[in-house]
Amino acid sequence: MGKTVPCSVCGATATVHLTQIVQGQVTKVHLCEGCAEKGGAGDPAVFQLAGALSQSEVPPSLACPNCGLNDADFRKRGRLGCPACWTAFASILDPLLGKVQRGAQHLGRGPAGGVLSADQAKLRLEAARREMSEAVASEDYEAAARLRDLIRTLEGQLA
Amino acid sequence: MSVRDILSSENELTHMLGAQQAIVLSTRIRLARNLSDHPFPGWAKAAQRAKVAELCLAALHAEPRFRRGHEVRMEALSELERAALVERHLISKELSGGKGGAAVISRDQTVSVMINEEDHLRVQVVKGGWHLRAAWHIAEQLDDALGAALPLAYSERLGFLTACPTNVGTGLRASAMLHLPGLCLAGHMDKVARALGQDGLAVRGWLGEGSDAAGNVFQISNQQTLGLSEDAILRHLGGWVKHVVEQEENARLRLLETEGEKFVDRVARAFGTLRHARLLTSGESMLNLSLLRLACDLGILPEARRATVDRLMIEGQPAHVQLRAGMELDSDARDARRAVVTREALADFPEPSSPPTA
Repeated sequence: MGKTVPCSVCGATATVHLTQIVQGQVTKVHLCEGCAEKGGAGDPAVFQLAGALSQSEVPPSLACPNCGLNDADFRKRGRLGCPACWTAFASILDPLLGKVQRGAQHLGRGPAGGVLSADQAKLRLEAARREMSEAVASEDYEAAARLRDLIRTLEGQLA
Repeated sequence: MSVRDILSSENELTHMLGAQQAIVLSTRIRLARNLSDHPFPGWAKAAQRAKVAELCLAALHAEPRFRRGHEVRMEALSELERAALVERHLISKELSGGKGGAAVISRDQTVSVMINEEDHLRVQVVKGGWHLRAAWHIAEQLDDALGAALPLAYSERLGFLTACPTNVGTGLRASAMLHLPGLCLAGHMDKVARALGQDGLAVRGWLGEGSDAAGNVFQISNQQTLGLSEDAILRHLGGWVKHVVEQEENARLRLLETEGEKFVDRVARAFGTLRHARLLTSGESMLNLSLLRLACDLGILPEARRATVDRLMIEGQPAHVQLRAGMELDSDARDARRAVVTREALADFPEPSSPPTA
């Protein structure tokens, strides 16, 4: 028998070993049978999450004041306990989002009819201008027209 | 209405036919939403989950879209009924296995909302064929209505807050279900999956996370949900789906050119197996149905027969076979029942013949 490796998610003995290469960067993830099954070892999102979780440096014994979930619970489950956990675990989540997400700022719609605050409208406007030049570059004129309308609406809102 | 009624009523995926669906079987939009001030379902206590279900169901019943729809509570269903709803993609495996789960399904089965899955609310819109924008518009409207009726967990910086960091932000998972036998037969599917993976898209099997690509059917979806607008996510997926469809069309043309009569022979053998087998495993059935489906697309079988093949792919799944038989069956008995259903459905099919040359 070779040496045992701990599961990247829960620390038990790992039996599933995955290697992923994204843009030349090699990530290795080790999962125990339970976590592999729970997450679906073939799922790239879970793979990335497990990889990021295992690499993130965690300040010890952080807990959510609202729901009581602590950092060990989060690392074990890979899921948060309540919306307030997003604030309580910001120090763990922010670096993690940098690895599994495209950016750290929401650029989508808001709740109830997509009403955006002025700050968000500004960010959205910048993104829409960027997307519009991309759409034009790729000759996706349908998208460009949609984005032009969005840009006008946002400009109107900010004027 | 019972689960049996849901499964037997006609809907876009089982009873629609169009050239549109030749390669893209269906398009799906999923939005993850949560109520503020309530623990996420996986961490909540039973009473807290029940409270969330009550609030969400009240808001959903006020929606005209769900009038005359179905409400299903997981506790009230048998294991078999839950499994059949999963096979239909109307609910997820996670909801079916979790506690305190419920779902509301529109009458035409295009729109469903799962309650107490990984998140409090999972809105799902499914359209047959390739209709990404149409599906998105329906989801957007329902999202507006839910946001007006319920206090949703939302932050200006992080968007919609979810239980898992891979869903935060837009909470949007857009996907297309593609039938790619040409790329699979040519041995190119691994390469395609790798390319998609490197550009932020996930490739999964027929039943989503961790499932096999039975019948050469693959689901392609966006992986990232934060730092991108919904429009950018849809455009990114749309561009790739268009590209993969083109690759598949090319692979099919090459297949006909290089294999010709050999390919018709392969289809005829698949047809023979499905038409005469007495025991048909799920895997064998899907593999051969995939060839029959391809034959319908290529004119080796009449295109009008594709809907029957699609229906057999869905109804040949284990829970469907057992529900239809009205009892739980062991795997041998399931294989026998599957063979009977398949034989009957294919009884009046014409023989495969060489495609008309262009």
